Amino acid sequence: MSKVRISILVLIATVIFCVSLFFAPTVINPFHLDDVTKNILLFIRFPRVTVSFLIGLALGASGAVLQGILRNPLADPYILGISSGASLSAAGVLMSGFYLFGKFTIPVAAFFGASLVSLLVGFFGWKRGGFWPERLLLAGVGLSFLFNAVLMLLLSISPGERIGRTLFWIFGDLSAADWSLIPYGFLFILSGFVIFLCRAKALNALILGDEIAHSLGFSVHRERLLVFISIALMTAASVSLGGIIGFIGLVVPHIMRFFTGADNRMLVPASGIGGGIFLCFADLIGRSIMQPTEIPSGIVTALIGSPYFLYLLRRKDVFGL
Amino acid sequence: MVKQTGHSIFAHSRSFRPPRLLPLYKIFYLDYRQEKPLKYSILSYILLLATCHFLLVSAVHAESPNRIVSLAPNLTEILFAMGLDDRIVGVTDFCDYPEAAKRKSRVGGMYNPSLEAIAALRPDMVAMTTDGNLKEFEERLHSFNIRTYVFKAKRLFELSDEIKKFGATLGVTDRANTLAQHLEKAFNRYREFGRGNKGKKVLFIVWPEPLTVAGPGTAIDDAISLLGCENIASRAKTSYPKYSVEEIIRQAPDVIFIGKGHVDVKAASEKTMDKLSGVPAVKHNAVYYIGDSIYRLGPRIIKGIDEMAACLK
Amino acid sequence: MFLDSDRSILEFDRVAFAYEKETEFIRGLTFSIANGEFIGLLGANGSGKSTILKLASGILKPACGSIRLWGKSLQSYKNKDKAKLLCYLPQLLDINVPFKVRELVSMGLYPYNVLPDMTVDESLSIVGLLGKAESYIKNLSGGERRRTFIAMTLIQGAGLILLDEPLANLDIKYQIEIINLLRELRNKKGISIIIALHDINMALQFDKVMVIKNGRIVGMGNPETVLSADLLREVFDVSIDIRKHNFITL
Repeated sequence: MSKVRISILVLIATVIFCVSLFFAPTVINPFHLDDVTKNILLFIRFPRVTVSFLIGLALGASGAVLQGILRNPLADPYILGISSGASLSAAGVLMSGFYLFGKFTIPVAAFFGASLVSLLVGFFGWKRGGFWPERLLLAGVGLSFLFNAVLMLLLSISPGERIGRTLFWIFGDLSAADWSLIPYGFLFILSGFVIFLCRAKALNALILGDEIAHSLGFSVHRERLLVFISIALMTAASVSLGGIIGFIGLVVPHIMRFFTGADNRMLVPASGIGGGIFLCFADLIGRSIMQPTEIPSGIVTALIGSPYFLYLLRRKDVFGL
Repeated sequence: MVKQTGHSIFAHSRSFRPPRLLPLYKIFYLDYRQEKPLKYSILSYILLLATCHFLLVSAVHAESPNRIVSLAPNLTEILFAMGLDDRIVGVTDFCDYPEAAKRKSRVGGMYNPSLEAIAALRPDMVAMTTDGNLKEFEERLHSFNIRTYVFKAKRLFELSDEIKKFGATLGVTDRANTLAQHLEKAFNRYREFGRGNKGKKVLFIVWPEPLTVAGPGTAIDDAISLLGCENIASRAKTSYPKYSVEEIIRQAPDVIFIGKGHVDVKAASEKTMDKLSGVPAVKHNAVYYIGDSIYRLGPRIIKGIDEMAACLK
Repeated sequence: MFLDSDRSILEFDRVAFAYEKETEFIRGLTFSIANGEFIGLLGANGSGKSTILKLASGILKPACGSIRLWGKSLQSYKNKDKAKLLCYLPQLLDINVPFKVRELVSMGLYPYNVLPDMTVDESLSIVGLLGKAESYIKNLSGGERRRTFIAMTLIQGAGLILLDEPLANLDIKYQIEIINLLRELRNKKGISIIIALHDINMALQFDKVMVIKNGRIVGMGNPETVLSADLLREVFDVSIDIRKHNFITL
């Protein structure tokens, strides 16, 4: 039964991928290509749609796992402060104009900022040999505030043009998708995803509490460490590829949990694929509605996601509440 | 001597059954005893890396600059002023002058134009400025084998030279020279006029809330100097600093200009004007609202300077 | 008093443990549990019952002394192997687990790569929850929830089950149900069970009680003989009259 459901998800994902590739914002017929449309298809649309799937996968799966580990229905990958660190780094580069690595500078800076914050969160969340969910959460929140404040400071003293560009990046900008970045995205995101799939049983056990998980034979601190590192790398990679795209990590796992139940062996892949579908779809809408202006995907996901989220809250017995 | 180290109460009778396989799992699940998944994953990853790095855009056939996309409103105006409007194939959403510009195809904003829209227009050249367009975007255009031209003027006095260079690249040197000379003559006229305005203290407010003024290094600052006045913000540290009301009161400007832009600024600036009621400019009713021509660093800037000169008379 | 090492399954040998660095909570703790025993760990709040269970299950590590499980040192077991032998249920079971009964019970299979004999259904019918296999944990009563977790430990197939206050906050009906269930498990399957509790009225249900005060054993043996008025006064600080009734009927 669940195999059928996952297959349906994969099918929907393929359909959305193709629609996004060939139909948005203008129709390109793959059988009648000339130079320009071939370039557009291969070098603008294809990387963009691939990146949107990767980011959706990363955020959806990480959100599902994090909600289980922190036992908190409001957790999403950015709660660990990763988004603030990445924004600050990227903003720093955008404001100062120091492009050390050419076109790779902003993704590298964002990745660096995200990793730095993750390290700090890990450091503050570590006590007596392991990670504790409450400490991680509080450390993440605290660091978020700090980095956001510094970011606001930077924004307040900067000239107008740079603010605009920084805000666009922060809202989620998939237009910089480039083939040369994608392999690195694949590396971090797919390996993290595989780690989640392999540790799904441990994740289930952790939901029951540390002591019962230990009793079932899992080394609680080791599992949390491994999972935390995976989440940090996946989120850092997704933020460096496409900016801050909110809502996927928070809402998609809840939606998927309604269809697959709370078992992480089903929930994590479903959230990942569901996240990819959602972001790809949001990007499709963002590119097509007000052509040629592109609405940043982070905005579209929030605009579509929030009403659905609130609707679910009224209707269904989700979030364990 | 303990032979058996504990026992589980069940005998392990059933044979091995692999975990429920999801379609996605199948890609990663390999019998680790027979094959070597790690080796194959690394190999395929290296292949992916190589492919992505060496994918090259196939060259789009470039002709002489006949299809121009303008990524800044002032460049659009300059192109129109040089009679090249039939060569323009794309403009930004903000290019609204002259009227004919509004009928050209749109490619997006200045920070985030759509690469796809631009590429679909098959341009020979994309004209950009250093003030409002982004370097990363220029590089993306290059990786698409699209030729770019960067118009580097930010100050009033760089304008005519840059127009001449632009015209040369486009093959319309005479028209460019004419336009440049027209601009120079206008500037000289204002310089003359300015001799009689020595010492007047002027402030140009770009936006009332938060209070942003035109500082050093801007075309507006140049215009103020041209008209012989003193920009009280000329010693600020950035081009468009946020000034405090206190500072303005202390500096006591004689004239205040407020740029209208696209929005009705009068209502937005009332509160600020109230706070500044002690300042000479406000007391003598020397607060003037200027249209947006002064913001376009092109032929239309003369109109803006004209407006300011008229107020100073 | 040590039993023969090939009959004892759990041995504590001069174990010491402290929660804070300064005070030593448990000192010189030495006892031994034989196979198939049904033991009650009795003591006041904070006397160290939970600590002893956590030390036995490996969640806490002793400061000194050794703990042996089936003759081998507890530290030397790999987590998965230990899980097949020993199972620990804490006092507080989270209500908000988002699983169904069947999903939760099947999690007892996690230590295994091959499927053991008992199926989820069998285990559920032993605890009497087969009818509620598809309900959510949070919709069950306290007693039913406890029984679900016990079903999970059944499937886990451990030879030694440690339960921390399984009868807390339950109605007498459920307390009796659970005690009976556990005793049956020992009778039918030979599982050794240690239960920590502070309700002395339940003491008679056990073969053997271990009375703990301030981290030390003050009495161990048959409840009828060990639990005298003097002992109870010393441990629980009350003067009470003991009347023995065997009111549990099977």
